[in-house]
Amino acid sequence: MAPSLHIRRLNIILKFGNKQIGVHKVIKSCLNFKLKEMELTINDLKNVRFFDNYKDEQLKIFIGISSVKEFKVKDILFEQYDELNEIYVLLTGCLSLGISLSKEKRIILGTLEEGQLFSWSAVFSPYISTAWVMATCPTKVMAIDAKKLILEFEKNCEFGFKTMSKIAQTVSHRLSDTRFQLMNQLTL
Amino acid sequence: MQETRNIYTSIKARLTDVIEESPSIKTFVLVPEDEFSFKTGQFIELSVDGIGEAPFTPSSSPLITEKLEVTVMKTGYVTDYMHMLKPGVYMGIRGPYGRGYPVEKFFGKEVLILGGGCGLAPIRSLLFTLESIKDKLVKVILCYGSKSPADCIYKPLFDKLNSTEKFEAYRTVDRADEEWDGSVGVATTLLNKIQIDIKNSVAVVCGPPVMMKFGTIRLLEMGYSDDQIYLSMEKNMSCGLGKCGHCMMGEFFVCRDGPVFTYKEIKHNPEIWK
Repeated sequence: MAPSLHIRRLNIILKFGNKQIGVHKVIKSCLNFKLKEMELTINDLKNVRFFDNYKDEQLKIFIGISSVKEFKVKDILFEQYDELNEIYVLLTGCLSLGISLSKEKRIILGTLEEGQLFSWSAVFSPYISTAWVMATCPTKVMAIDAKKLILEFEKNCEFGFKTMSKIAQTVSHRLSDTRFQLMNQLTL
Repeated sequence: MQETRNIYTSIKARLTDVIEESPSIKTFVLVPEDEFSFKTGQFIELSVDGIGEAPFTPSSSPLITEKLEVTVMKTGYVTDYMHMLKPGVYMGIRGPYGRGYPVEKFFGKEVLILGGGCGLAPIRSLLFTLESIKDKLVKVILCYGSKSPADCIYKPLFDKLNSTEKFEAYRTVDRADEEWDGSVGVATTLLNKIQIDIKNSVAVVCGPPVMMKFGTIRLLEMGYSDDQIYLSMEKNMSCGLGKCGHCMMGEFFVCRDGPVFTYKEIKHNPEIWK
């Protein structure tokens, strides 16, 4: 079974005497064993567009702080306004990104392409997602631990600058596409 | 002595078929009564007696001379009337005019085509031309965006291109409906999907002005140089001969010097995206 953030959102608490633990944490730690089986290699990342122009030792950093997660159709990776602690790169599959006006009304703003980075809010304060992302076909993503990534940026400035530049480019393209959509509407 | 045709007079052409491409776009199949040929990217003035004429770039293959296809979007008085026409009536064709795509400059290269909305009409003609010279090309990639799945024109063209050697075609829509399971987003988002050797390629952009602007900006960001980008400009072409001035864009008459320009030629023009 694939892990996803809607599991985290069950928010059921188990009590062990004075100790409390969320069910989502139990499920996640069980799943971690399975995720370890799907480790990425440097060669895998060389075929992923986001990782173009990275050196092997830099790709190794990503691998060390990432896991592969799989999602099935209609799985929600995260909701709008969720607190994010992972930044994702779409490896295979298809994802829709959108915003919600209400719980029932989801508006699709766009689809993501393989090799694209998303959930960039995980590396910028307040770490809150600006959109939801849903799998529309069986999907595999690389989930990079955002806190560990920021620590790596501090240790290795060249790696940090390169990665933040790529993240900024992703945000810039998203902004440009949104303006394009807006202009389309205004010039109708 | 060969008689020279008056450049202002129209050739009669019989409307043999009308194909509904989308709720607001129809393709008119015309059979000219005189010899008529054009180069891909050139435009014609298509007229209806007593109503008026308007400029269009043919959407059919320039290699087929016995018939001509023109795809028309309903946008005003003349085009609204054209949409009511039935097969059997006669229309007028004047032209061809202007400078089309310099396809010989595409030899040995990858061709990236970015299209939007009704801009696929001239692109379709270009695609037919490129298909006929595909041995001289490395590959051709089409990225096309429409407002909705219903607004997408020439739907069968995409499957056909994807089954043609050296051709790839991608579609996206601004707004999906229940049945749409493809890409959603503006046309430029498809550029995240493709693999292209930018140094050895040219890009062709054709569509509404907003798309042309954002598409060109994204291509420049990707690393295309100003002279690698070809833009098919839509302006208010009227006489077709560079006389009336309706389509003036700075120093250029779009009808005579275009409609196809490199971005390098027109980038300093303040009216480029108007």
